Amino acid sequence: MNPIPALKFVGRVALQNILRNRGIALASVLTITLTLLGAGVAVVVVHALDGVLHTEESQASVLKVFMADHVGFASEVNLEQTLGHQAAVAKATFENKDQAAQQAGSSLGLTQAINLLEKSGAGNPLPASLNFHLRNIKAVSELNREVRTSALLDSGPHPTDYNADVIPRLERYIFVAQLGGGLVVGVVGAVALVIITISVRTAAYVRRQEIEIMKLVGATDWFVRWPFVVEGVIVGVISALVASVILLGVGVGFGGGHSLALGVGVRFAALIVLCLIVAGGALGSVGSFVGVRRSLGT
Amino acid sequence: MSISTSPPAPVVMTGAGSTELSRSEPPIIVFEKVTKIYANGQAAIRDASFTVRPRDFVFVVGASGAGKSTVIRLLIREERATQGHVLVEGQDLARLKHRHLPRLRRKMGIVFQDFKLLPNLTVEQNVAFAIQVTDPGRPHLKEKVGEALYIVGLEDKLSAFPTELSGGEQQRVAIARALVHRPRIFLADEPTGNLDPDAGWGIVQLLQQINHRGATVVMATHNREVVDLCRRRVLAIEDGRIVRDEAEGAYLRDGDAIL
Repeated sequence: MNPIPALKFVGRVALQNILRNRGIALASVLTITLTLLGAGVAVVVVHALDGVLHTEESQASVLKVFMADHVGFASEVNLEQTLGHQAAVAKATFENKDQAAQQAGSSLGLTQAINLLEKSGAGNPLPASLNFHLRNIKAVSELNREVRTSALLDSGPHPTDYNADVIPRLERYIFVAQLGGGLVVGVVGAVALVIITISVRTAAYVRRQEIEIMKLVGATDWFVRWPFVVEGVIVGVISALVASVILLGVGVGFGGGHSLALGVGVRFAALIVLCLIVAGGALGSVGSFVGVRRSLGT
Repeated sequence: MSISTSPPAPVVMTGAGSTELSRSEPPIIVFEKVTKIYANGQAAIRDASFTVRPRDFVFVVGASGAGKSTVIRLLIREERATQGHVLVEGQDLARLKHRHLPRLRRKMGIVFQDFKLLPNLTVEQNVAFAIQVTDPGRPHLKEKVGEALYIVGLEDKLSAFPTELSGGEQQRVAIARALVHRPRIFLADEPTGNLDPDAGWGIVQLLQQINHRGATVVMATHNREVVDLCRRRVLAIEDGRIVRDEAEGAYLRDGDAIL
């Protein structure tokens, strides 16, 4: 069989089917658009939440080790090099007492209190610290345990800034966000698949006589099935385009007209559109393939 | 009820028809101890055995529900035999893989009582449809469609829609559609069932002409008059059993009466 006329015929029949059954096609486009829109919103929200959590995670991935005031420079360098060369540590930076005072002053608004203490002769109460930036948040607790045995650390109640509660809580949030997003996308995808399958089954029922004749005159299953599959792909892609336009429109609207809301970049927005089109086409083709199976008796 | 025996078909055809030649050839259709029991437990065919030789013309007769249509459905592998073997051109249909079914169907022309035409397509498009869905790249599509419609005498109705045609004309379109693949076997399931006697007789004459062109014709019918007029081979079925196989038979056995 010559593939070009075959493809032409399949494409023409698919378009004719859409036009002939435009009520069903429109209903399919609407429902699939809504489901893809739901999936798109879920992806954007999960992405934004993921961004926030990752910022938190990167901040929590820094272990601040407070040094005792009596520790000399050589000991500090020794500790920095010993721990800084571990595989889990991305980099280690040293913060002296003055930098600590400056940091506390700017971020916590404690400048006046520190100045008062210094003027009273008590000196700068803040310790110098070694800041270990870790590659993985899970390595923070282990490094904390290891570093606490060192005699070089501040003898206060908190020789490091390690907070045992923060990290598991963050990990829990990330897990819930990813699981929730995955579930929403999965459920929405399944709903879209069922809708396409039902609509194709309806279309196949409407066209049962045509299918019966095709089979009687010797058309292959391929030839009976492909117009439906192409029809499903067209409906899926149209739905994805409509969902993308709505999603981008709402994103630009909430972003104030100049950028997209929730910190979505152009590249990520393009990726979402591409994913929606691929998902729409895939849902359409798989739904049609399944939907027409019964008519073929295979 | 009586029918006019004047031939309405305008085409003169030539061909061997059923001749001595076919006696020496292997059968084109074989039913070998075939039983068909449907899922509801109803036995439609019981232990049926017969053969059909190339270029034979066979009437399968019997009352409604006797099993005539099941014979046709078994031949096109719409149904599979529960027991026994159905062979077409030596191919056991029980062993035929699903993907090879289209090849079998293209060797056959099939027509039904309800014509099975697509109402939104013209006569020409309905006939072309059979080629488009099996071999869309086939050259001279228009000529082949025109030729098929010329054979059935509808070359002047190309642009008409099925609803604009009489029942007899619609059945001719269905026959033209079945002819475009130049089938070796032509199966007709009650093709005159929805037609008035004259139109029905016209269809039977057309099938005889197709047979004269060299095709084997199997026609399931309970139209007594056409069977009696043609005097071709008759296979009579009662309650799923082949009760009579006569070379030049009538609808009823001599001496039988219609109840």
